[in-house]
Amino acid sequence: MPELPELNPVIHGKLRLALLSLLSGVEEAEFTWLRSRTGSTDGNLGAQLLKLEEAGYVAVEKKFVQRKPQTLYRMTESGRQALTDYVQALKQLLGAAI
Amino acid sequence: MSNIEEQELKDRLSLIENMITEGRRTTESWGWTFVLWGVAYYIAIAWSTTGFGWSLWGHNYLAWPVTMISGCILTIWIGTRNVGDRAPTTIGRAISALWMTMGISMFILLLSLSLSGWFNQQAFVAIIAAMLGTTNAASSFILRWKMQFACAVVWWAAASLSCFASIAGSSIIFLVAIFFCQIVFGIYGMVNDSRRRRAAASRQGAFHA
Repeated sequence: MPELPELNPVIHGKLRLALLSLLSGVEEAEFTWLRSRTGSTDGNLGAQLLKLEEAGYVAVEKKFVQRKPQTLYRMTESGRQALTDYVQALKQLLGAAI
Repeated sequence: MSNIEEQELKDRLSLIENMITEGRRTTESWGWTFVLWGVAYYIAIAWSTTGFGWSLWGHNYLAWPVTMISGCILTIWIGTRNVGDRAPTTIGRAISALWMTMGISMFILLLSLSLSGWFNQQAFVAIIAAMLGTTNAASSFILRWKMQFACAVVWWAAASLSCFASIAGSSIIFLVAIFFCQIVFGIYGMVNDSRRRRAAASRQGAFHA
């Protein structure tokens, strides 16, 4: 019997999974855009984005636009690969159920 | 695997799909630009024909360049104000590039034709309509939006008919095409945008780690 795959714990968190999925559909996203799409609080969102950044799945760029600070998040290649692998693992686990 | 675990995994899969769709949805909120440019065309026509009868446009050479430049400035100004906290997508960049390059081509060509004295109203309408048809069609293929392709067909028909019409006839063709493909289509796009935003707002709940 083939071994069932492990689900990546960094991605498995619901908010982190939502963030990576959102970032996979866009080129980059502002912190405020991610907050409005997830309905999360600033603190929680910042903490989860930091975990994704530490894992190398998300790249951060901070800049000023018209004197206002702007934090942009972009999915990295390893983040895209990790999300792809996670979806494959999910499908494998669910097997015939989907 | 228990039923609860299975349901949890299915929820994760559907969460991924929903979030990817949510991200891509940001590219489609541009209905207002169609209305704005429709009004700009009407202003340019009205201005260029003032005092000369509504069907002949060539008497005020400032009308078209000034209206078109003002339209560009307004589009950029409203666009940057509306963008707010959105996220750019590749599709959005493709659509913007398409309309920007079409606008630049149209501006250079029509201004050169006017300045060189080659102005011919039927050809003027045919060029504008053909370019708008091409851009609407390309955009409709990218967005898979049938209604926009219908607009492209109307523009192409207007371009073709204008070549065979009188000066007054080409004016009527252009005014009708603007009404349906800019004003009506733009309002339809805006209504769709606001419906979608309301639906998305009611769907959204907070995610927790």
